[in-house]
Amino acid sequence: MLKRNKNINFSKARVKYLKKQKTDKFLVLFWQIAIFIIFLGIWQLCADFGIIDPFFFSSPSRIVSTIIELANQNNLWIHIWTSLYETIIGFLLATIIGFLIAVLLWWSEKLRKIFEPYLIILNSLPKIALGPMIIFWVGSGTSATIVMCILICVIITTISMLNAFISCDNDKILLMKSMHANKFQIFYKLILPNALPEFVSVLKINVGMSWVGTIMGEYLSSKAGLGYLINYGSQILKLDIVMASITLLCILAAGMYFLVSPLEKRYKK
Amino acid sequence: MKNLLEFNNVSYFYQTKESEVKALDDVSFNVKEKNFASLVGPSGCGKTTILSLIAGLLTPSSGEIILDGKPITKNDGRIGYMFQRDHLFEWRTIWQNIILGLEIQKQNKNAEKLKLAEDLLKKYDLYNFKNKKPRQLSGGMRQRVALIRTLVLEPALLLLDEPFSALDFQTRLKVCDDVYEIIKSEEKTALLVTHDISEALSMSDKIIILTKCPATVKENIELDFQEKTPLLKREDKEFGNYFEKIWRNLC
Repeated sequence: MLKRNKNINFSKARVKYLKKQKTDKFLVLFWQIAIFIIFLGIWQLCADFGIIDPFFFSSPSRIVSTIIELANQNNLWIHIWTSLYETIIGFLLATIIGFLIAVLLWWSEKLRKIFEPYLIILNSLPKIALGPMIIFWVGSGTSATIVMCILICVIITTISMLNAFISCDNDKILLMKSMHANKFQIFYKLILPNALPEFVSVLKINVGMSWVGTIMGEYLSSKAGLGYLINYGSQILKLDIVMASITLLCILAAGMYFLVSPLEKRYKK
Repeated sequence: MKNLLEFNNVSYFYQTKESEVKALDDVSFNVKEKNFASLVGPSGCGKTTILSLIAGLLTPSSGEIILDGKPITKNDGRIGYMFQRDHLFEWRTIWQNIILGLEIQKQNKNAEKLKLAEDLLKKYDLYNFKNKKPRQLSGGMRQRVALIRTLVLEPALLLLDEPFSALDFQTRLKVCDDVYEIIKSEEKTALLVTHDISEALSMSDKIIILTKCPATVKENIELDFQEKTPLLKREDKEFGNYFEKIWRNLC
């Protein structure tokens, strides 16, 4: 409550403490921005003065002009939209499927025991190895990319959620049972809300992983998308296109991350 | 007064990979209606097994358990359980925690039951906190909420599984008093499991002493403190004598 009072009521130590908090917060933000600007500045200068070869390393100004050029050629939006679409669909499907499998495995202990070694093996398998098979199974293009995306996210979603479900305090389950709760009630009144913070973590991890899936999928076979653009740029030796695509990728991934992170503030206390 | 709970020659074996372990050997005792009884014994003597049997979470290997004239069935709904920790659900408000049992039993539209919940909150000074989250309450208040959550379901028998052991000593004495007062004024029958002799002494009308594994009943001790509160009992001169007697029996 003290915070809402006016400064007059504060002791000297308190004023000093609050001031330090404020300065610290400002300093962190200042350096976060400063490092970004300094990094871009040095990069630009090095390229301008020929310390690094802009053909291989590009430069901030070349990236910006490449992005504008790509946008003017009218196909940049198609690439961005394709990747974004694949990532979001892959992210949603993987999260839902992984979650449902986790629920199923929580429900039946026998099923859980049976599938445990399969989960471990599938988790350690590098999913990219399945790439060529995916193309044969679902064809090339968007669907192959989405499948790759799902394969990469789904197992880790299942494992994380299952662990969160199982880690619920046994006495809490006993409490529910002593109140005559059936298994369904135990799940949606206790296990599920109890696992909510972990679910938010999984969402955050999946944002990153689904971008990995999308780019990998597009490397494998695609006609559009940022992964396609990166591949294309490197093949025709226009590395500016590669760097421009990576920059856009950074912005999109950060955007998706910031959409998910308010959930964390709300459910993780 | 009649016996509310009767434990008649109950034995229980549990299975492990290595062998069959006898946890209870021919255990018999009873708890009178509106009385407060305690089970005291060395740790690992099967006290929790006894509670699980009464709650219907386990079935006796032989013998029978009668509650209010009827044998205990699987997941018997007539039991209220209180644990070492309060186990309030952090994502629910105090009010939502208290009506958890009503929700489960689809009674949360029952005006009578809701009225009872509200009255209990008012009576035990928690009504102003009904929209707060558990983390905003002190340990003692949380334990009181946990007790009310159980009482709302109007159980025939309350099982208390070392309900104070997670609290610091100061809070513990206070909460002990509070819980005792609530149980007595609601005229509930309670069975407490503890390894703390003075806690058992200060709460109970009767103490049942168990031996080490397999548990058998070593002695029943009826206490006579004339309706004193737990704190006052601790000051009674008989307290030391009883303590001594139980201590000897445990060794």
